[in-house]
Amino acid sequence: MHTSIFRALCTFLLALSTLTVNAESLVVTDPWIRSAPPNAPTLGAFMVLENNSDSEVSVVDAHSSLEVDRVELHRTVMADGVMKMVPQKSIPVPSHSSTVLKPGSWHVMLIGPKKVPSMGEVVQLTLVFGDGTEQVVAATVRQGKKMMDGHSHEMKSD
Amino acid sequence: MPIKNDLQGIWNKYSLLLGVILFVLVGCEQVVEIPETEAAFVLPEVVTLEDFKLTHPRLGGYGLDSTRGKWSLFFFGYTHCPDVCPTELFMMAEMMRAIEKNPPTDFQVPQVVFVSLDPQRDTAESLQQYAGFYHSSFIGITGTQSAVDGLSQAMGVFYERVYHRDGDVVTLDPQEAVPGELENSYLINHSASIFLLNPAGKLHAIFPPPHDPNKMIRDLAAIQGAWR
Repeated sequence: MHTSIFRALCTFLLALSTLTVNAESLVVTDPWIRSAPPNAPTLGAFMVLENNSDSEVSVVDAHSSLEVDRVELHRTVMADGVMKMVPQKSIPVPSHSSTVLKPGSWHVMLIGPKKVPSMGEVVQLTLVFGDGTEQVVAATVRQGKKMMDGHSHEMKSD
Repeated sequence: MPIKNDLQGIWNKYSLLLGVILFVLVGCEQVVEIPETEAAFVLPEVVTLEDFKLTHPRLGGYGLDSTRGKWSLFFFGYTHCPDVCPTELFMMAEMMRAIEKNPPTDFQVPQVVFVSLDPQRDTAESLQQYAGFYHSSFIGITGTQSAVDGLSQAMGVFYERVYHRDGDVVTLDPQEAVPGELENSYLINHSASIFLLNPAGKLHAIFPPPHDPNKMIRDLAAIQGAWR
């Protein structure tokens, strides 16, 4: 009885944490992890990073509540029809601007997950910034963006 | 007048060539009907591919014969692919679901074939488990590196292995041995084009990225219609 209330409270607080404005003015919205095959060697995490401050903010590292071998930052770029997935030292968010982490672009790579999470599962991601501060977000596992209805922005999880 | 003479000279020289070109173009147009497509590049002439020998855990050997009788969409990638392959496989799954929901008239549902460029890490079983996750009809095939290289080169797929450490790309000399800790962490940069084989097993069209499932369906319908 107490455990389920405790769990509900934790989930509620985690959900809240995705909405509250961070003291460092870096707002993370719509964090999600792409659902993948049960034997997938890597997972992709995506989100929108909004920087409301006067100086550039960078994500330099990330940790996850999932047991993984390591976490890396990547950017997919296309050059002459070849898709390159380029590891990054950081993901920059210019002042008063946003950087969108999405398939085909910037993303957080979770390498070697011990167990691939299923659809709807919530994974905690800790983003580490260049100034040493951190922010924890709750990323929900869902399928890729709905491409068929033509919208490029998906706020709610599947 | 000197200029007029030059033009006359040029005309004399090239008129025959021009005539031959026009003759060939007009002649070709009557042989093949190239349908209008939104995204696909339909080859002016279908390409006969060399046979290949790859494997599938349930189907056994997979080669050109296996593609005959249906339209196949070939995509090259690997399971350790961080972003491109999941994105493309999801896109094609969306395409399949749209076809299932709203099939165009007289439409032959294509067979999606995911070919692994990374037999070192992808086994036939793990590859099929991976591909099948996106849509139950998808098949994943792989084989020896030279068999995979043969097929990918025949279709014009570019790919390269890239090692990285601490966020930096590590370039290795061909003679250099791969440092132990990097051995299995490489990424593969690769073409993301999707290749269409017709029911005769010939390379018929290429869909370069970026891909839109709606456009692909329309193009496939147009191509199938023109082929009959």
